[in-house]
Amino acid sequence: MRPLILSVAMTAVLALPLAAQVRPPDAGFPSGPKIDPAKARAYNPPKTADGHPDLEGIWQPRSGGAAYSILPHPAGFFLGAGSESGIVEGGELPYQPWAAERIKYLTQHMELDPTGHCHYEGIPHAMYFAFQIFQTPKQIAVLHENMHAYRIIYMDGTHPKDYLAWMGDSRGHWEGNTLVVDVANNNDKSVFDMAGHFHSDALHVVERFTLVDADTMSYEATLEDPKVFTKPAKLGFPLKRAPKDYELIESGCFEGERDQAHLPEGVATLPEGHYKK
Amino acid sequence: MRNRSAGFFFAAVTLLAQSVPRTSDGKPDLQGIWMSRNAAGFDVTEIAEGHEIPYLPEALEREQKGPRVDPIAHCAMPGVPRITYMPFPFQILQRPGYVVFMYEYMHDQRIVRTTPRDHLDGIDLWLGDSVGHWEGDTLVIDVTNLRPETWLDSARHTHSEALHVVERYTRTAPDTINYEATIEDPKTYSKPWKISMPLHRITEPGFELREQECSEGDNGRAIHPPYRPAPKS
Repeated sequence: MRPLILSVAMTAVLALPLAAQVRPPDAGFPSGPKIDPAKARAYNPPKTADGHPDLEGIWQPRSGGAAYSILPHPAGFFLGAGSESGIVEGGELPYQPWAAERIKYLTQHMELDPTGHCHYEGIPHAMYFAFQIFQTPKQIAVLHENMHAYRIIYMDGTHPKDYLAWMGDSRGHWEGNTLVVDVANNNDKSVFDMAGHFHSDALHVVERFTLVDADTMSYEATLEDPKVFTKPAKLGFPLKRAPKDYELIESGCFEGERDQAHLPEGVATLPEGHYKK
Repeated sequence: MRNRSAGFFFAAVTLLAQSVPRTSDGKPDLQGIWMSRNAAGFDVTEIAEGHEIPYLPEALEREQKGPRVDPIAHCAMPGVPRITYMPFPFQILQRPGYVVFMYEYMHDQRIVRTTPRDHLDGIDLWLGDSVGHWEGDTLVIDVTNLRPETWLDSARHTHSEALHVVERYTRTAPDTINYEATIEDPKTYSKPWKISMPLHRITEPGFELREQECSEGDNGRAIHPPYRPAPKS
């Protein structure tokens, strides 16, 4: 699979003029429907008045249980339906040795999951849940149903100084038909999933949104964190457009949540040996 | 003389109507970052007509017996109209058929459609169900399906689940929106009553909303059982 992607990317680079040197979305994701890179590159999406792809609509991720764990995981009470593939390329995260020890602890203590206490998920975690995009030339607003989370992707300006946030700070730009979003200012409290996959405040996420047909958008994110990972990790999944009559509805979270602290020991854990490292 | 001043008035109104900046679909452009600058979040009577709320006696009695802790202290969303006069900025974004409100406070949000539909059935929401439409240059939002737990302010002015709020947003100057809301609740008030206040644009260049998280460090230990019980000694 990898050599094919590389050769497709190389062909694209060689064949296209500089302004159109756009990396196509990958041929497929570990989970969900496959995307044909040739068709994806040939797709000419509807454009907004300022000439960029029109991403507006309600999008439903096909993230294969990523909210439970972004890595392959079995089915279970706290693990949803399970996923044989997960959404991370290669099926594992490049943890540094100390971090590989820590994740073993965290997966045995899923009651520590901050989203169980109604904290913001962070990026990319929030993207595993349905959202609606409202697009203007300088700002693209992404409003999620889950946790009534939202973020504004600014198409100008720079990341602020001395600011850390659960959802980070998002600055976007267009590379051909792909919206590329640079997410910095992430705090060290958000996590990638309920299983506890984690990062530090050095996390830097680069997201790529590409329409591949009228009702499908490819979502990819590169996760870079020199304090936790030995090298960047990559994840991705497709998003499907919701039917026209769909509306997002309010999801309040902090309505007197009292259950999580009472989870019996052992319920909220992943099995031993779940992680290769 | 009378005719002349009427003429001036007419000209001024026409000029104002023409000068309201409009979005591509011809609606008044309400976009930007706005904030109320008052203390209504602490006591809503500040912006109430006559500074009074026409309570029914039984509602006052219910209020006296009700909870004494402001729900927002537990990070509940503040409800409508309270979210509008919380002392935090909010951003309005308009797209054809939509007016989107993104509040800095507790990252609350309202996606308001301006195409008519019936209110939702059988569900209540912290920020209610909002259905919008334009009346001339005024954005009118009809809000029902509100939860009975929210308060109108920290002063414990309350309402029931029968609350029905009609909000009106009118841009009256480049940096001002006039906000009015009619508050109706036959289980709590003897008649509908009104609040009104200006919303001021934040004109500071480069101003952006920041994240405001409420459940952070809130609560857990104070109002819940310990996160992980300490070992018994």
